Amino acid sequence: MLTRTPERRLLSNFNYPLLGVVLVLCTMGLWNLASASRTAHAEVWVNQAWWLTIGMSVAVLLCSFDYRHLLHVAYPAWVLVIVLLVLVLFVGEAHKGAQRWLVLGPVRFQPSELAKIAVVLAMARFYHEDKEPPGGYTLKRIWRPALLLIIPVALVMNQPDLGTAMIILAIGGSLLLFAKVERRTLLALGVIGLGATATAWLFLLKSYQKARVTAFLNPASDALGSGYHSNQSIIAIGSGELGGKGWGEGTQTQLRFLPEQHTDFVFSVWAEEHGFIGSVIVIVLYATFLLMAVAVASQAKERFGVFISVGVAALVFWQVFVNIGMVTGVLPVVGVTLPFLSYGGSSVVTSMAAIGLLLNVSMRRFLF
Amino acid sequence: MSLLPTQGQGRDYKARFAWVLILAIGTLLILIGRLYYIQIVRGEHYARLSRSNFVKRLDISADRGMILDSRGVIVVDGRPSYDVEITPVFSPDPESTLRRLAEVLELDDEALSAVLARVDAARGLERFRPILVRRDVGRDGLEWLELHSIDFDGVDVRVRPQRHYRYGSHLSHVLGYMNEIGPVELERAREAGLDYRMGDMIGRSGLEERFERWLRGKDGIEQVVVDAKGRRTSLAEDSALIPPDERILPSVPGHNVVLSIDMRLQRIAEEAFPGLAGSIVAVDPRDGFVLAMLSRPTFDPNRLSGRISARELRELAEDPLQPILHRTIQQHYPPGSNFKVVTALAALQTGTVSGPEQGTSCPGGYRLGRRRWRCWRDAGHGFMDLHTSMRHSCDTYYYWVADRMNIDPIAEWARNLGFGRPTGIDLANEIPGIIPDVEWYRAHHPDGYQRGFALNAAIGQGDVNATPIQLVMAYAALANGGTLFRPQLVRRIEDAAGNLIEEFPKEETGRLDVSPETLDILVNSLRAVVHEPGGTAFWRRPRDLDVEIAGKTGTSQVVRIGAVRVRHEDREYHHRNHAMFTAFAPVDDPRIAVAVVHEHGGSGGRDAAPAAFEVIRGFFELEAQDESERAEGSSWPPEGKQSPPGRLLPRVDPEPSSEDHRHASDRSPDRLAPDRLYSEETRG
Repeated sequence: MLTRTPERRLLSNFNYPLLGVVLVLCTMGLWNLASASRTAHAEVWVNQAWWLTIGMSVAVLLCSFDYRHLLHVAYPAWVLVIVLLVLVLFVGEAHKGAQRWLVLGPVRFQPSELAKIAVVLAMARFYHEDKEPPGGYTLKRIWRPALLLIIPVALVMNQPDLGTAMIILAIGGSLLLFAKVERRTLLALGVIGLGATATAWLFLLKSYQKARVTAFLNPASDALGSGYHSNQSIIAIGSGELGGKGWGEGTQTQLRFLPEQHTDFVFSVWAEEHGFIGSVIVIVLYATFLLMAVAVASQAKERFGVFISVGVAALVFWQVFVNIGMVTGVLPVVGVTLPFLSYGGSSVVTSMAAIGLLLNVSMRRFLF
Repeated sequence: MSLLPTQGQGRDYKARFAWVLILAIGTLLILIGRLYYIQIVRGEHYARLSRSNFVKRLDISADRGMILDSRGVIVVDGRPSYDVEITPVFSPDPESTLRRLAEVLELDDEALSAVLARVDAARGLERFRPILVRRDVGRDGLEWLELHSIDFDGVDVRVRPQRHYRYGSHLSHVLGYMNEIGPVELERAREAGLDYRMGDMIGRSGLEERFERWLRGKDGIEQVVVDAKGRRTSLAEDSALIPPDERILPSVPGHNVVLSIDMRLQRIAEEAFPGLAGSIVAVDPRDGFVLAMLSRPTFDPNRLSGRISARELRELAEDPLQPILHRTIQQHYPPGSNFKVVTALAALQTGTVSGPEQGTSCPGGYRLGRRRWRCWRDAGHGFMDLHTSMRHSCDTYYYWVADRMNIDPIAEWARNLGFGRPTGIDLANEIPGIIPDVEWYRAHHPDGYQRGFALNAAIGQGDVNATPIQLVMAYAALANGGTLFRPQLVRRIEDAAGNLIEEFPKEETGRLDVSPETLDILVNSLRAVVHEPGGTAFWRRPRDLDVEIAGKTGTSQVVRIGAVRVRHEDREYHHRNHAMFTAFAPVDDPRIAVAVVHEHGGSGGRDAAPAAFEVIRGFFELEAQDESERAEGSSWPPEGKQSPPGRLLPRVDPEPSSEDHRHASDRSPDRLAPDRLYSEETRG
């Protein structure tokens, strides 16, 4: 089954358009960061270029072997990530009140980012091996893949990192649904979900997290407090109007009214300086990427490849939706980065690693 | 071999992929819809909001107009005040910083804790806003701060215009003072469409208050670009982001107010005032314009407009002598014998006496029923007619006429002379005084009107009360042939360049229906008070002055005289008589009328008349001096022309009476002592 294949054939099957879309997005991201970092001391975009290079190397590495080898690695990797997530709770480096970072010598990274990939791989392996019940998964059988999801989500939530926890939950939830859930079970899960949300609100969420949600529901109520980020972001985006203020000319960005403009609010920078036209171009590029990812999934030769592809698509989609949703005031402000555009090593490397997996599945679609 | 499911399940997967795509693309379309809404539909709104984020309006405060005296000499203008401020966000330890500063800046505990409270209360962006620590810091403090600035992060010195009353405590009640506008006033000003902001200074009393709308200029605006922390960026950003015509809107300076008061005469009056409390007011009887005006004790408007502490303010307010009270218009006194001209006029007009020759004998008092009204001279004056009774200030004659004509004619002629109602001077809170008549006693006295009340009223005692300004205006009317004028302080308003904006004409408020012969009789009797032997002011008359003066002394009782007369010096301060003198000159062509009220001063002839004579002497000396300067062809003041512009050619009195207030107070902190707030130079 895992026969050695001539490299030439692999390269001819390489999904260049997919890589192209990703690279275009990354380039726009760099250009955008160069504008956002004009007033900052550090040349953020240069660092980002290095991170992209590292991310690209990881992607190439992940393409270099048949992804089906990962079937053996999927569960151990999941366990390793769980260990790291537990570890980060004890020895993690705190930043802004949350323990998210693990420091290994010169390397600082967020295990919660790795968890996104690990959950996709582990669930893909589970569904690869599990025989799909005719009517869909019932409660009796869904608890095992659900457990693969719930444990890391709970740990990340504990850091606390509500945004990443929600993203992991959304990715895994997408896979659960994709694997087909029996109707009554779906209803039951819906009820459980609502109950969990209520419980989280009452007992688990920290006050600053609640404040963000309330600020989201009524941003003007506290313009200088929790609602400040959201308000300033909407002003930045809205004031871009049709064509934008021009690269490096965004007043919200350059005069620093816009918070977190390299990371969570990087889309607001883009939208302010390039307007509605620029914003639509970015969203169309993401849509194109999603179409291509689903195409890869549909051509995959076995369930492992299908679930990996759908998982990667979900990973990108949910981050795009939550991030742009939050900067435009549709969703509460939770710390979620925008893939390929936001600054940050963990985010870049995770996104590129996911792309590597997708490309791997794509280039080996004709093999068996 | 594919691990993919069989055909049937493959179709199932197609449906799933379709769902995935529909949901994903659908969601992204929602985001595009949202972007369309905020960027296209509401775009302009947010563009405005982003603009208001970075555009900060800085106010360019307009120069307040000056107050000039009748010759164009600056009385009130502005000078720089060096204010120390602290910006909480830049100060690492505001508490210890302020404690160290307190000593150098003479900040008392109360003020210190007030500033600390404001620093602690500052939250968020407010922490970038400077908080005033000490207004108007002196030279020593500034030098010390400069030397130690390295230890005081977040402490800055800001220069702001400070109202400068060049004559210190002179003319203070007339000029008034300024302080910060209060929240309620701010609300009212805004409703009236006036452009005031928090922290603006507003005229508080006197002319500063009444002429606020003339003196206050129109503030300008400068728009600059600031970043999220409220810090100014660069001029380049300003010009890039703000259209040039919106960047600076220049301020318009306020108008200058030109007084009718000559500060040289004012100073003479200030120096002539003999005691602790009272008033001097001099007017031109020909038009009612005020020539000099003062009230004692006084205060220094520089202090009230600037760095006065809460404690000093309290002490000023609680002082039993009420330095803030403007006695010339806000305090009334029993006018005493000054009122006898009114009784005499009433007696002549009602025919109670057929002429100046008709009179009565003064045995030292007048008996009515079972009571005896005492004349001030227990031994009596002998036969008294109108002329001699005025000269000697004999009370008996007036008891006699009052008993024959009753109180109502006295009250009527008092009102004809302007008593019993405000004169309408350009100052706030003027009181009307009291002129009682039969009606009044029915309303105010438990037993109603009694005949004896007319006797008291006839000599300006009992319930008769008049303000110093009423006294001087009434005498001015006698002097000018019977015309009552509204007293005015401001001759005209000029703009900053000296162009005439508005000139105030004289205003008649009444005319006495009295024959010139009758007026002559009265004026002649008043002349006798000063110039005939036996006149109550005869011994104090300015013998060297070649001007005839008509006047009347007054010694008004504050408490009822007991069986035994007590010497003035032996009485408690508040039981002593008020000394008064009201006069005009020259008798044949009056150009000045003056009233002096010396509270608890003793006798009118001895303790009030000399001050009035000083003012009159000063007036004519200045008149002669100006006359000779004109004759020598000196250009000052140019005849027939307006007084020259203020700001372009500021004219400062060659030797201002008050030294530079700020630095004087810095050198000697003990000047903060409350009694030093009043002018001391005339005491004793």
